[in-house]
Amino acid sequence: MGILLFITVLLIAACGLIYELIAGTVASYLLGDSVLEFSTIIGCYLFAMGIGSALSRFVQRGLAYRFVWIELMLGVVGGFSSALLFLAFAYTQGFQLLMYALVVVIGILVGLEIPILMRMVREHYHFRDVVAHVLTFDYLGALGASLLFPTLLVPHLGLVRSAMLFGLINVGVALWSTFLFAKQLPSAQLLRVCCILVMCGLAVGLAQAKRITAAAEENIYADEIILARDTRYQHIVLTRFKDDIRLFLNSHLQFSSRDEYRYHEALIHPGLSAVPAPRRVLVLGGGDGLAVREILKYPQIERITLVDLDPEMTRLFSTHPMLKALNGKSFLSEKVHTINADAFPWVDSNTDSFDFIVIDFPDPTNYSLGKLYTTAFYKAVARHLSAQGLMVVQSTSPMFARDSYWCIVETLKQAGLKTYPYHVYVPSFGEWGFVIASTHDYSPPTFLPAGLRFVSIDGLPAMFQFPPDMSPMPMPPNRLNDQVLVRAYDQDWKDISH
Amino acid sequence: MKLSRRKFLQAGSAALIGLSVKADRAITGGFVNDSSQLGHLLRDRAAFPAPKKVEKHAVVIVGGGMAGLSAAWRLQKRGFRDFVLLEMNEQPGGNSRWGVNEITAYPWAAHYVPVPGPKATYVRELFEDLGVLKDGVWDERALCFAPQERLFLYGRWQEGIEPAIGLSDKDRGQFRRLEDAIHKFRARGGFTIPMELGVSDQQADLDRISFADWLQGQGMDSRILNWYMNYCCRDDYGALASETSAWAGIHYFASREPAEKGPLTWPEGNGWIVRRLLKPVGEFVRREAMVHKITPGNQVYRVLAGDTEYKAEFVIFAAPTFLAPYIVEDFGPLHDFEYSPWLTANLTLERLPASYGSDSTWDNVVVNSPALGYVDALHQSVRSHIGRTVWTFYWALAERDPVSSRRLLLEKDWDYWKEAILHDLERVHPDIRECVSRMDIMRFGHAMARPRPGAIYAEQRRKLAHGDGRLLFANSDLSGFSIFEEAQYRGVRASEKVLRHLSGKV
Repeated sequence: MGILLFITVLLIAACGLIYELIAGTVASYLLGDSVLEFSTIIGCYLFAMGIGSALSRFVQRGLAYRFVWIELMLGVVGGFSSALLFLAFAYTQGFQLLMYALVVVIGILVGLEIPILMRMVREHYHFRDVVAHVLTFDYLGALGASLLFPTLLVPHLGLVRSAMLFGLINVGVALWSTFLFAKQLPSAQLLRVCCILVMCGLAVGLAQAKRITAAAEENIYADEIILARDTRYQHIVLTRFKDDIRLFLNSHLQFSSRDEYRYHEALIHPGLSAVPAPRRVLVLGGGDGLAVREILKYPQIERITLVDLDPEMTRLFSTHPMLKALNGKSFLSEKVHTINADAFPWVDSNTDSFDFIVIDFPDPTNYSLGKLYTTAFYKAVARHLSAQGLMVVQSTSPMFARDSYWCIVETLKQAGLKTYPYHVYVPSFGEWGFVIASTHDYSPPTFLPAGLRFVSIDGLPAMFQFPPDMSPMPMPPNRLNDQVLVRAYDQDWKDISH
Repeated sequence: MKLSRRKFLQAGSAALIGLSVKADRAITGGFVNDSSQLGHLLRDRAAFPAPKKVEKHAVVIVGGGMAGLSAAWRLQKRGFRDFVLLEMNEQPGGNSRWGVNEITAYPWAAHYVPVPGPKATYVRELFEDLGVLKDGVWDERALCFAPQERLFLYGRWQEGIEPAIGLSDKDRGQFRRLEDAIHKFRARGGFTIPMELGVSDQQADLDRISFADWLQGQGMDSRILNWYMNYCCRDDYGALASETSAWAGIHYFASREPAEKGPLTWPEGNGWIVRRLLKPVGEFVRREAMVHKITPGNQVYRVLAGDTEYKAEFVIFAAPTFLAPYIVEDFGPLHDFEYSPWLTANLTLERLPASYGSDSTWDNVVVNSPALGYVDALHQSVRSHIGRTVWTFYWALAERDPVSSRRLLLEKDWDYWKEAILHDLERVHPDIRECVSRMDIMRFGHAMARPRPGAIYAEQRRKLAHGDGRLLFANSDLSGFSIFEEAQYRGVRASEKVLRHLSGKV
């Protein structure tokens, strides 16, 4: 009986420590502050063990019977603890209350185990040996558990399944004890049936762990991820929260379907409505087709050329049902001609002229994108403007990236263009800026297409006025050999986030 | 089976991690543009066939590098057409040759021109002709795109090549002192580009000691400062600071004060200038026409190349001057002309390697590497997305004397140099072997003039530089060092002298 008994001690010690580690890990994982969570959980757990030890003196008869029941309960509570915690975090407000309750229950049960076990075997050994052996195996089990947990359990099984596996071990110990202490158990058969039933429950849990985690995660990450795709050029992620669809390129927000109409109406109409009889339009960037949707509101336009680097992007926005609904199937219009090419070389090699040119690139977060905001680029684009033509540039935020915004304005000026800066408020972006540029004078339109939700003739003059906190800053132009814009942009956002 | 240490480590760590190691790419390539065999025919005074035909020209230009092409440019621009340019190789350009593959054009050697100052009038004139300088404004697309340069030191990349991170107070003080000293030299005006306009006896003392000795004399013993000084000497002269004249070392810094953020560069380096120069002067160029003998005669020079004898009133010798004793009859021995051996390699990359999180730049230098670093040919592209690209790796064999380095250069096979280059790059790009699919290597036994102490003011060099006879020397090595501006200046000057003589005669 000796060695089997001590293996039992080793196993229950391991189980106890695993539950503690799982609670600590789940809490730091979900709540973030790992020092706080681990400290409080270890504290509660040890304190509860003390309560368990103190309570053990009230257990007087039927020690073996009670020991089996303690193991059974630990198997159930500990085994399902991780799954319960995840689901509680996802679906209830009482995560922390439940967590500490679980820790205290498990602690008390674990605290009861060892004193009861020691009393059960005291007739067979000297007290001296009992203490020495039981504690030795107790600590050995703890060592094993603490090594297994980070190396094998978390990486390969995950938190939910690890808990269930150790729940099974606890119940296994219970079942085994019914044989080990058969002499002291009057109703061993009944206990064994209970053990097997609990084991079945845990086994089902183990098999279904993935579904439990998935159910929890779907609620934890509130914005459902509709699509995540790595293309040759970028990482595209689409999320949805209720009726709000958001597009992220390389984790930068490109639009939110709730307010993108503000952005795209402001990008297109102040400029395009001011062009007399526009026929041909060029869109650089804008692979989401949202700018094209606005351009299609002008029936006299005959041809829209859209140049976007990433074929995956334009394909996605011309085929995905949800996205087609968003851009009004703009890519399916026969007026639209999509070209997947790098914009700068395309602008260099193409010779067409356009009545309106939309430049809608991601913000200048790096030197590669920064090339598309240089005097050299704007000069090359300006060669494509027809006599009455206008161009418009999305130009970051004059509020949050004030230096960058006015740097883009200065760059357009140095490229030999007249500039007309304006800004609007887009809730998901904040204050956002654009610049109309042309070789001739621009005056705001007196007529707009019907059905606009944001841009109005009355509202136009205010867009061109900049309050003092967004007013012009003296900035040098951004040039290929000296990309001041990329550095300014980086600095602007650092200033905000620090 | 013998396992290399590398393979053994890979297999061992793979077994430990339980993952398969990503396979290195098979790398193709070889030596290209070797001209040592042709050159050695001259050295060994091989027998050349007798000429079969005779051509008469007023002027024959020997050598189609930047000096020869510049001489041709000037003659052609002045409406003078009675000349030929004889180039040994199939491809003109000399140290400004370039290559092209399915990805991009790339340089074989010289790859940039610092933005010229006001004294470099010929260079400015050329760039005005080529449309790079318009109304005093440099074409933005010809100026090196940002970010220009980075240096790898202390396990990270810093912006710029001059060490700026991890400096002690002592280092910083010495850098500042050097800057002050250079500033004073610059203000005195003795160090100019072209050097001929500033050189005077006032600075002759500086040519008598090495740059390393001069630095020591100034109390500049900072290790990192000396690394940087050595780097600059290796980069421009192919020599260590201890083998470089102090005059030349100071000239490197004091001669330039660009008014614009540059330098001027193109994907194919200075090959772009050659391509543009060949448009007007290409018709005068005879390729694969190695001059093997020049005989001074009565009123006329006989120039033998291939199966043709060229009779010329004037010869502009724009090839490296060290060839003159082997070609020009009764030339006599040449002193103080020493040349540094180099190799360059063009690496085709299927993707950019990992780079310790830094944006890739045009020029990339690693501290304490024996080589000079590499340049990305597609950096000077307006594309936003770069997939495959070509890197040009530069290595001046500066650590030994030129003769033994030259021997090493020719002795070792392609595989040896390929491994040496990959090994050097692996320090900063651990996965480089997964990216490189091809490596072509070009060996230059006499790549550039080495300005040893005494070389700049050497009597023979000054005399050849100021010559005004019918045989005019025009290679950049007459300045004592090989840079584009000197080659162009000497080529143009030689043509000016010829034109003056010819017009005087008429």
